[in-house]
Amino acid sequence: MSAIAYEPVVGLEIHIQLNTQSKVFCACPADSWGAPPNTHICPVCTGQPGALPVLNRAVVEKAVLLAAAVHCQEIQARSFFDRKNYFYPDLPKGYQITQYDQPIGRRGWFEVPLPDGQTRRLTIHKMHMEEDAGKTKNDPARGARLIDMNRCGVPLIEMVTAPGLRSAGEAAQFLIRLRQLLRWLDVSDANMERAHLRCDANVSIRAAGTTGLNPKTEIKNVNSIEAVRDAIETELGRQAREVSAGRRVEAWTLEWDEDSQTLHKMRSKETEADYRYFREPDLLPVEVADAWREAILQRLPELPLERRARFIEAYRLPAYDATILTEERSLSDYFEAASAAFGGEPKIIANWVQNEILRLTKEQNSPAGGLAFTAAHLAELVGLVEDKVITRQTAVGLISQVAESGRAPRALVEAQGLAQISSDDALRALAREVIAESPEQVQAYRAKPALLNWFVGQVMRKSKGKANAPLAEKILTDLLAE
Amino acid sequence: MTDLTDLTLHQAAASLRAGEVSSRELTEACLDRLAAVDPRLRSFLSVTADLARTAAEAADRQLAAWRRGTTTAGQSPSPLLGVPLAIKDVLCLRGTVTTAGSRILEGFVAPYSATAVERLLVAGAVILGKTNCDEFAMGSSTENSGYDVTHNPWDLARVPGGSSGGSAAAVAARLTFGALGSDTGGSIRQPAAYCGLAGLKTSYGRVSRYGLIAYGSSLDSIGPLARSVADLAALFSATAGHDPRDATSLPAPVPPVDLAAADVTGLRVGVPKEYFVAGIQPEVEAAVRAAVVRLAELGAQVVEISLPHTEYALPVYYLIAPAEASANLARFDGVRYGPGITAAEAGHNGGTSAAPLWARYEATRGTGFGPEVKRRIMLGTYALSAGYYDAYYGQAQKVRTLIRRDFDLAFQQVDVIACPVAPTTAFRIGEKTDDPLAMYLEDIFTLPASLAGICGLSVPCGFDAQGLPIGVQLLGPALGEDRLLRVGHAYEQATDWHTRRPPL
Repeated sequence: MSAIAYEPVVGLEIHIQLNTQSKVFCACPADSWGAPPNTHICPVCTGQPGALPVLNRAVVEKAVLLAAAVHCQEIQARSFFDRKNYFYPDLPKGYQITQYDQPIGRRGWFEVPLPDGQTRRLTIHKMHMEEDAGKTKNDPARGARLIDMNRCGVPLIEMVTAPGLRSAGEAAQFLIRLRQLLRWLDVSDANMERAHLRCDANVSIRAAGTTGLNPKTEIKNVNSIEAVRDAIETELGRQAREVSAGRRVEAWTLEWDEDSQTLHKMRSKETEADYRYFREPDLLPVEVADAWREAILQRLPELPLERRARFIEAYRLPAYDATILTEERSLSDYFEAASAAFGGEPKIIANWVQNEILRLTKEQNSPAGGLAFTAAHLAELVGLVEDKVITRQTAVGLISQVAESGRAPRALVEAQGLAQISSDDALRALAREVIAESPEQVQAYRAKPALLNWFVGQVMRKSKGKANAPLAEKILTDLLAE
Repeated sequence: MTDLTDLTLHQAAASLRAGEVSSRELTEACLDRLAAVDPRLRSFLSVTADLARTAAEAADRQLAAWRRGTTTAGQSPSPLLGVPLAIKDVLCLRGTVTTAGSRILEGFVAPYSATAVERLLVAGAVILGKTNCDEFAMGSSTENSGYDVTHNPWDLARVPGGSSGGSAAAVAARLTFGALGSDTGGSIRQPAAYCGLAGLKTSYGRVSRYGLIAYGSSLDSIGPLARSVADLAALFSATAGHDPRDATSLPAPVPPVDLAAADVTGLRVGVPKEYFVAGIQPEVEAAVRAAVVRLAELGAQVVEISLPHTEYALPVYYLIAPAEASANLARFDGVRYGPGITAAEAGHNGGTSAAPLWARYEATRGTGFGPEVKRRIMLGTYALSAGYYDAYYGQAQKVRTLIRRDFDLAFQQVDVIACPVAPTTAFRIGEKTDDPLAMYLEDIFTLPASLAGICGLSVPCGFDAQGLPIGVQLLGPALGEDRLLRVGHAYEQATDWHTRRPPL
């Protein structure tokens, strides 16, 4: 007897930390990575008596940009902040300022390309702006709780998806694509290790082919893409076993323990707090008038999947190349700029970008746009190679010199006499030298013509990489046949 | 020569400019009188004598420079330069203890100054100290203070009103030339009436709330109490105006208040019938009606009007204000400031599990808050709870809109509304402390304007048989302070109620 096939039903709630300069309701720096505890704080974000919040417009701008990028049908001209009331030592005001029933964005969708070539269109129910809480850490040695309020008031967007993901892998793919989009739009650094992207997963299963929704569990504290996949996979397995054994899945809240790769029950859903939401009276409604929205959306760039499609179409790039080149906006901008400056076959530039430029961005931990070796430099360098002025080897060696000196590739080639040796006389002289110095290899060559490559290599070495290799090969073949 | 402390704020300012008196002398006179009288009055929670003397000396240097004509601008100094004032203890003053009358903030030193206070300091005012109030401004008698009961200078056995009772008592008793209070449901107007003063509840958003310890955020407003309407105008002008640190502060400019143009000829004065109801003390009704007659004699046109939703103001207020308070007061958890009571002190043996944390919260809040504050936190928490929100808080918001509309319609008919401030004159200390509902009823005539966010002025208009002051309330539309002040000033010019001083 075959087991019943279950279909996973997964939805995500994602907290996205925005990369604004200042916090959402005060002027403190938003990014406190590496800062000593309680150094980026003020009366507002620590909830001093009498202090009041003032909304940072940059937060609204980033929220609107993201809402448009996930195709929200409603980017609300008027949305509201509310107070979510609960006590916790790292929540200074005793309430979190968030958007409850009238969020900035609703009814969006996001397309996730799946490895099998299919696309999953996931509905985004809503996205809202809110402030982060601080961090609490227990210090058992002192029997104390330590509270760091640097993170209080850091701007977040919470995005709630429909339960439209059909596997743990799809959830991971969605997060990978979301992370890409967030960086692309420059709304978040989306670094999961720094908790810029935090994910709760709602998981249930149903008999394949049915459409109803069964009780779900909510998995908290899954803070890497691998953890999301592993936790959902684990929970799907557990639910399938429960249901197969004739038991019901209870609406629990679960916590993923990264170290032991297990889920722990935090609480039953019934015991959930009553947050007593009400409109935040200290803030006005968030009004995004048409003019402001238009101004914000002027900055909405071509999105990654759109750009990928265009790269395939307009530059005749293989899908693989287009994917790599549109992973990151700065790299794709770099490619386009270099390609335009080069003017030749885009695939040639695509190869250089995927090899040399991608390597540089990793070595220097910098986006392509921040490299000292610019797209214009690359176009000129590749032009020199294509025109056979320099060898590919010389070109690669020049990249770091260009970056360090800031001088153009052509200028360096001229200044250092790096131009490729293509003159028949010069190459013939080098080839003669090599043959004269290598009687044993000349002897061996008669039996083993593949040694020709060794001779070409020696000529390249003597020329410090400048020899025109195909020409040198031809001359050597002639001379060795003599 | 009269006692320096008997001068009005304007008289004091004029004497300072004329060089007849120094700020240091005025300050010392106030501090001396404070030391002599306040042990009986108990209007101040803290006296900032050193700060006051330093400010007074700075003001004297500025005044001397101005008199010598050596100031660069050459303009007339602010009327507040060198004038001693008091601040209700719900307003933060950097570096000084700020408690809002609550034990839960005992010893809390404000790390910053409220915008309204900052503006007084910029104008060169001398801050004498912080005045007593009902805890977190919740009350109508100042009996709910966590520290002291303030007495009414007209009769020490009676309350000064509240919650700005400390400010009112101090101004009436000549300990200061003026004071800032806050008004959420009547907390400036009612004590002003009880103490025979002029008091201005500014329109919601007119004076920045930044640095005002919040009670009901959608209702809280800051305003002055003084011994004349002209004095109020000076304090209002110095503190009002947009503040980028308060998102709800109104961006409207603050035009100078021209009291010389105070003339009520042709002014349409609305008298709302709903404000003359059974239970109002007959002498209060008579005095208020007489004030309306006086305005008519001065040329005003009196119109009876209706504000049909008036009766709902009390229940609406006691849902909205406590709901907001229940959240506003959540921050007082003893974690960052105030005398937090540790788990061990609360009877737990430490550790970091949840239970001692809650024991700490319960001990801190259980001992730090007084009974009225707890009552309102519970009321508000209930009104916001799942399953009750729609019936209580949600419904209250809808009725609030109707109350606001009452006033919108009324101000299409009339320029100002005249009515009683409170149904009675000052009651005896202890008389209503066991009956919260009776205490709440003290605010029935002040609550509607608070809910509507409009401005209101309390001006002395008589005395009852026991010699206790009675106030008339003038209400104006939002941003109508200058109109109210001109009408109040005209009335004051035609009467002498405001010139009487308490026996203390």
